[in-house]
Amino acid sequence: MNPETLLTLALIVACGLIHASYQLSVSVLTLLSGHAIGKKTHFKRVLRLSGSYLLGTIIMTLLLITSAVYTTLHIFSHSGIPLLAWAIVCGLLIGLGIATWVFYYRKSTGTSLWLPRSMAQFLTKRAKTTRDPAEAFSLGLSTVIAEILFIAGPLAAAALLIPLLPSTGWQLVGILVYTLSASLSLGIVWILVGSGHSLSRIQLWREKNKRFLQFSGGSLLVLLGFYLYTEKILFAKAVLLGGI
Amino acid sequence: MSLFGQRTVIDIVKAGGTRPSEEFNADKLHSSIVAACLAVRTPEGQAEAIARDVCTATMAWCSTKPEVTSSDLRRIASRTLQTHHPDAAYLYKHHKLIV
Repeated sequence: MNPETLLTLALIVACGLIHASYQLSVSVLTLLSGHAIGKKTHFKRVLRLSGSYLLGTIIMTLLLITSAVYTTLHIFSHSGIPLLAWAIVCGLLIGLGIATWVFYYRKSTGTSLWLPRSMAQFLTKRAKTTRDPAEAFSLGLSTVIAEILFIAGPLAAAALLIPLLPSTGWQLVGILVYTLSASLSLGIVWILVGSGHSLSRIQLWREKNKRFLQFSGGSLLVLLGFYLYTEKILFAKAVLLGGI
Repeated sequence: MSLFGQRTVIDIVKAGGTRPSEEFNADKLHSSIVAACLAVRTPEGQAEAIARDVCTATMAWCSTKPEVTSSDLRRIASRTLQTHHPDAAYLYKHHKLIV
C-alpha cells in the first residue's frame, strides 16, 4: 500500500466518522429499544429488532455511498474529477460544518435534533409501534434518508475520494471502510444495549456530550473542507500553473 | 375495571391543543410508568409497585383540579418517579425529546 492510498483511506475514514457523529439513527435506536423493553418484549426479540434496525441503516448507507461512487465514476471516468466538483464539495462541507455548529441540536433539553417536528413525531411513532424485524429494518433505511441533508457532505466527499483509489478492489475496500466507520456509533450503542446497559445512562451520556459531538462533527467538516480545498484545488492549480 | 378502582372525572387537555381533551385514565399513566421502569431494567414487581405509588401521588395532586394538561400530568408523575427511580424518571421525562 503506497502512502497516497493510505492517506485517501484515512480521509474516507474521517468522512465516515463525521457521518457517524450525526445522531438521528442513534436516537431512533434508543427509542426503539426503550419501547421494546418497556413492552416486556423478550430480550432476544429486542436484540433482533434493534439488530434489524442496525442492518437497515448499514444497507442504506452502503446503497447511498455505492450509488454516489458509481455516479462519480460514470460522469468523470474519462476526464478525471474536475476542480469544479472539488470546489462544490468543499463548499458543501464548510457550509454543512457551520450549519452543524449552528442548528444541528435544538436549544431545548434532551437530544432534540434539527428535524421538523412532524418528521420527528413520525419517527417516534414508528419506533413505538415497530414489532416486526422487517419493520425495524425499513425504519433503519428511512432514518438514514431522513438525515440526508447533513450526511450529504461526508457522503459526497467520500464519493469523490473513493475513485482516487488505485484499483476496483481498493475502491470496494473504500466503500466498506466508509460504511463501517459511518455505522460505528450505532454499532457501539447496539452493543451497549445488548450487553444490558441502562438506556437512561446511554441517553444521559448523549445529552451531556451533545455540544461536544456537535462541535467536533462541525469542526471536522470544516477542517476536511479546507484540507480538500488546499490539497485538490490550490495544489492542483499550482501544479497546472507550473509553480511546483 | 381500573387498577385503581375509581372513576376520576378530571379532563386531560392534550398538548398542542389539536386533539380533544380526554378523561383521566389512571391505567394509562400506570402502564407508561411501568414501561419507563422496565426500559431501565427494573424488575417487573418493583416496576409495578413504583407505578402504583406514582399513580396514587399523581391522582392526589389531580383531585383538587377540574382539568389538567397532559404536560402537568407528566411533570407531576416524573417528579414523584424521581424520588423512586431517578433513571426511569429521566427516561419518562425526556422520551419526547430524544429525536
